[in-house]
Amino acid sequence: MSIPLLICDDSNMARKQVRRALPEDWDIDVTLATNGEEAMEAIRAGKAEMLFLDLTMPVMDGYQVLEAIQREGHKTMTIVISADIQPEAQARVMKLKALDFIKKPVDKSKLTEVLTKYGLI
Amino acid sequence: MSDSLILSEDQRDCLQEVCNVAMGQAGDSLARLFNVFITLTVPNIRLVEAKAIHGELSTMIDAPTVSAVRQAFYTTKGNQGLCGESIVIFSEASFHEIAEMMAYDRADLGSTAEQELLLDISNVLNGACLNGIAVQLEEALSYSPPALIGQHIPVERILDREQLVWDQALSIKIGYSIENKAFQCDMLLFMPGVSLSHLLGILDMLLDDF
Repeated sequence: MSIPLLICDDSNMARKQVRRALPEDWDIDVTLATNGEEAMEAIRAGKAEMLFLDLTMPVMDGYQVLEAIQREGHKTMTIVISADIQPEAQARVMKLKALDFIKKPVDKSKLTEVLTKYGLI
Repeated sequence: MSDSLILSEDQRDCLQEVCNVAMGQAGDSLARLFNVFITLTVPNIRLVEAKAIHGELSTMIDAPTVSAVRQAFYTTKGNQGLCGESIVIFSEASFHEIAEMMAYDRADLGSTAEQELLLDISNVLNGACLNGIAVQLEEALSYSPPALIGQHIPVERILDREQLVWDQALSIKIGYSIENKAFQCDMLLFMPGVSLSHLLGILDMLLDDF
């Protein structure tokens, strides 16, 4: 069965970059969200076994999404893909139970490496 | 005039993402300089007209008086390329916070020391941010040395309408604030109309890759 996968970023280009960087032969069902609120709706609807999440977004940012996932007890596995490369930003998302952090612009080999590391592909 | 007459939605999105990545690099540099956490917000792109610049400035910068440093950038590939100006604007309350972070005694932070700090911080932000933009756009940029516009001046005085060399420019506002401190510094990039067609060409090439 396809893996429900959600890509959340306010930038259309960034969403495309993530999508392009995913393994071609991966059996996934992709949903897109442009801010944290849309992401939470998709997560509640069961569309996000995996989530690729931006941090700096309008309406509801990535940190708030990670908090909401924990609060609502979803089993979503989140990989943060952000331009905010401060070590403290990475520490905070890891504390909020993100699986890993990838810096923007996302790179195919790095993404593949992370997915392989967690046995996701 | 509507911005959409100049920038398509895709071009705006692409430019915003390019700025977002560059902002992240600059924020990281600033965070390391002060050993603090920098709060970043989504870059704001607007088209501004020279005749309305003072109104634009007071809309964009919410501080009665500011200190500001300017630095010009231009492409090294002849005169057809990217060019513009970066203005780093410090809101008034920031100085005490900076002085504390740099462990200055407040009384010691005279006008000269303050100038040095302003120039240093501007250098760090401009270096990382403009370089970040240049790398992504695959442009080689040169920079003029940073120059102090003024200290503790009304925000309208940052730009002299009479001396602007453009009628229209694309402005990009990138804000950096320090968590739990009254430090706010905004970088305003102005790219004049003549530089825009070149910029849009580069954005289209980036977009074609997707």
